[in-house]
Amino acid sequence: MGSRDYMVITNNPLVLDRLKETRHVVYRDISYEEILREVRDRIHEGHTLLSHPLSGSVKPNETPYKSIMISEGKGEVDEASLKLIENAIQACRKFIFKSDLYEAPVYDDFQIIDLTLLESGMASADAG
Amino acid sequence: MRLEMGHIYIKDIQFAAESKIEDGILYVSEEAVRAVALEDEKIKSVSFDIAKPGESVRITPVKDVIEPRVKVEGRGGIFPGVIAKVDTVGEGKTYALKGMAVVTAGKIVGFQEGIIDMTGPGADYTPFSKTLNLVMVCEPVDDIKPHDYEKAVRFAGFRVAVYLGELARELTPDETKVYETCTIKEGMEKYPDLPRVAYVQMLQSQGLLHDTYVYGVDAKKIVPTIMSPTEIMDGAIVSGNCVSACDKNPTYVHLNNPVVHDMFEQHGKTFNFVCHIITNENVYLADKQRSSDWTAKLCKMLDLDGVIVSQEGFGNPDTDLIMNCKKIEAEGVKTVIITDEYAGRDGKSQSLADSDPAADAVVTGGNANQVIILPKLDKVIGTLDYVTKIAGASEETLREDGSLEVELQVLTGATNETGFNKLSAR
Amino acid sequence: MAKLKVVHYINQFFAQIGGEEKADYPAELRVGEIVGPGQALTQQFGEDAEIVATIICGDSYFNENLEKAKADILAMVKEQAPDVFVAGPAFNAGRYGVACGTIAAAVQEELGIPAVTGMYVENPGADMFKTHVYIVSTKNNAAGMRDAVKKLAPLAVKLGRGEAIGASSQEGYMPNGVRVNFFEKERGSQRAVKMLIKKLADKPFETEFPMPDFDRVDPNPAVKDIAHAKIALVTSGGIVPKGNPDHIESSSASHYGEYDIAGVMDLTEATYETAHGGYDPVYANEDSDRVLPVDVLRDMEKEGKIGELHHLFYTTTGNGTAVASSKAFAAEFSQKLKNDGVDAVILTST
Repeated sequence: MGSRDYMVITNNPLVLDRLKETRHVVYRDISYEEILREVRDRIHEGHTLLSHPLSGSVKPNETPYKSIMISEGKGEVDEASLKLIENAIQACRKFIFKSDLYEAPVYDDFQIIDLTLLESGMASADAG
Repeated sequence: MRLEMGHIYIKDIQFAAESKIEDGILYVSEEAVRAVALEDEKIKSVSFDIAKPGESVRITPVKDVIEPRVKVEGRGGIFPGVIAKVDTVGEGKTYALKGMAVVTAGKIVGFQEGIIDMTGPGADYTPFSKTLNLVMVCEPVDDIKPHDYEKAVRFAGFRVAVYLGELARELTPDETKVYETCTIKEGMEKYPDLPRVAYVQMLQSQGLLHDTYVYGVDAKKIVPTIMSPTEIMDGAIVSGNCVSACDKNPTYVHLNNPVVHDMFEQHGKTFNFVCHIITNENVYLADKQRSSDWTAKLCKMLDLDGVIVSQEGFGNPDTDLIMNCKKIEAEGVKTVIITDEYAGRDGKSQSLADSDPAADAVVTGGNANQVIILPKLDKVIGTLDYVTKIAGASEETLREDGSLEVELQVLTGATNETGFNKLSAR
Repeated sequence: MAKLKVVHYINQFFAQIGGEEKADYPAELRVGEIVGPGQALTQQFGEDAEIVATIICGDSYFNENLEKAKADILAMVKEQAPDVFVAGPAFNAGRYGVACGTIAAAVQEELGIPAVTGMYVENPGADMFKTHVYIVSTKNNAAGMRDAVKKLAPLAVKLGRGEAIGASSQEGYMPNGVRVNFFEKERGSQRAVKMLIKKLADKPFETEFPMPDFDRVDPNPAVKDIAHAKIALVTSGGIVPKGNPDHIESSSASHYGEYDIAGVMDLTEATYETAHGGYDPVYANEDSDRVLPVDVLRDMEKEGKIGELHHLFYTTTGNGTAVASSKAFAAEFSQKLKNDGVDAVILTST
């Protein structure tokens, strides 16, 4: 898989900034859970999930940022992808919402962590 | 492989002019350990403190917990590929300072988590309230990147632990335990009638602050492989993981991996403990598939009858856990998995992010969303500034009387997924 | 500490009034009396609690006069104002179990008085009510009385005192979907090793976290010739003819409806509605085709895309309806569908 065979759905401005030149980045200014829903909609359209939607041990509703890799191409609806994304959306609800409680510099850290989690997935994809 | 583990019981830790261990008391020269910590120019300053069980002390934000050890006989040294040169470890003789730990703390990221309470209700949940802790709070140089800071603190902790371990080199252990495994053929001949079992350990490997190192190699770059179960006792696996305090495995847990130790108890009696299989928890789904295919393949090639699979972390690794379990069971190998739960504050939500009927034998470390009130303690080592901003904390976290209302997930090691604790849930 | 006041509910059989022939015995309050299994409970309560009244009701009477029986018994309980309400234990007696579950849940929800009951795990009342009230797991017959009250009494005392209730495995109640933490005697790794040894030896072992129930049904092979197939509609969305002629309950349905739509081309606001109490009914009432797509299927019938739409549809409300009841409904009407030569069914839910 090459770097043009996948796209990144993200609400992380740092991801957009760093990757927009080299990758297909779909940036949306929406919540963590809405990113999951956006990805789910695309899975319904036939895209395949490539990275785990709950990547990272930072909990949903704690970090506001999420970046997910999906296939550029479309095919039949992939059931495994669908199950993963549905479970992830469900998991969001278990955590008390506090993504808006942090001091400004903390959001930079959240952005960096999200980016590095994504990069570790991209490294695997680009190598293959 | 045969490893003799010598236990040296530490009854007290005191600061002193000269570092030494005498009559079970660890004397620490602050000047000496400071010099060891500051060998890395990325660390601007470090402060040391001692926290003892029962004291009104809170340590936060905890990064890692390490047990000092020294390699007395045999190949290699403690933390091969990290502190010691790369060389296969796990045989010969190793001494460990029991009853104590080096705890590293420092705010690597703004949402850094990890609390160790030495007394009160929080102390019941974190295993590190029972150890004498030498705490080192590391401040980095200005404008450092989080990953450089993490690495600097990680290495500083290992260096200090190794420095303290060296103090025991010439001592006579209070107790000695012998751990011995056989080669494949030897095991077949020696225990022809015993079931063949292994331990499958999933290592956190998702990226920055979520990493684990095996002989210095980043675990996300490995394919599943086999080790002698004694290798971890010399520090073959170390933690670079700072996130999800309750269910990350600090280096202390890797050194004292409870599954390895409890499986050794049965080795040669009820089963033949064949080997330790390590695998990872990458974010890329194709990696998950490859790794779980490989663990199942290894189980089959080793003719195993059963395995225990342990997990590290939340969410993403649930998928690896279930994939491993399903595929290993499909090879006809009986599987028990260890996990923890995020069932919501009311305990009513679905605990895991993935599930499968093949996972019919599960041990749980408890619900990490359970709310707990931590009373105000007299002393804080580290900083409380960020406690209200950490995982599981909510806006009511800091209550008027100074107590904290938090979820178990903020407590270091509370719902450990290698079965380190007694906490469970039904 | 003052003794807790307990009201105890039992059926006609355990009150030694009679068996099946007396099952129509109406609800009766006996103040100050300890009857039947109340003796064993009292013994187990010791100084902690006492039964201040016993309510007796025939199983048929309760189930056949559900609303009246429930209201009468609730009034009796309310009058006694107990600290805790105990029903049964019902062991494997099906109607008794359902009555115990129903009344214990009602006392708890409507009077705010904590309640507990006990029965055998396969009693239909267990599945229906284990997530509503604490149900102590008992043996399948009255020989297990001693064992049952040993768990029932201490749990009732804890509930009456408003004390924290431990995990199901500690207190002896059936897992109710609420995960509760507690400390085991051994660490997790030891528990895992023991579980593995049992599993290796094919001995029974108990998982600490049962995976969610997977009641998976393998899909049937695709319909070969849909253009000539007879298609039926079935829904758990509660669509019924206007006025709900068969009184299908808005939740925990006890029956299903069968309605003829021969000649019906469209479900309108004037002719159909939903009985379902678990979702906002506005859009379903406005146009019931949104739940039960009769209009679209009529179009497809006309266009020749399907053979025909079966003239009967089956409906119930899925809201809180016990899985066991749903299975029983489906077993019955599936047979009818088969007899009517239906080739395929579209099952809609909400």
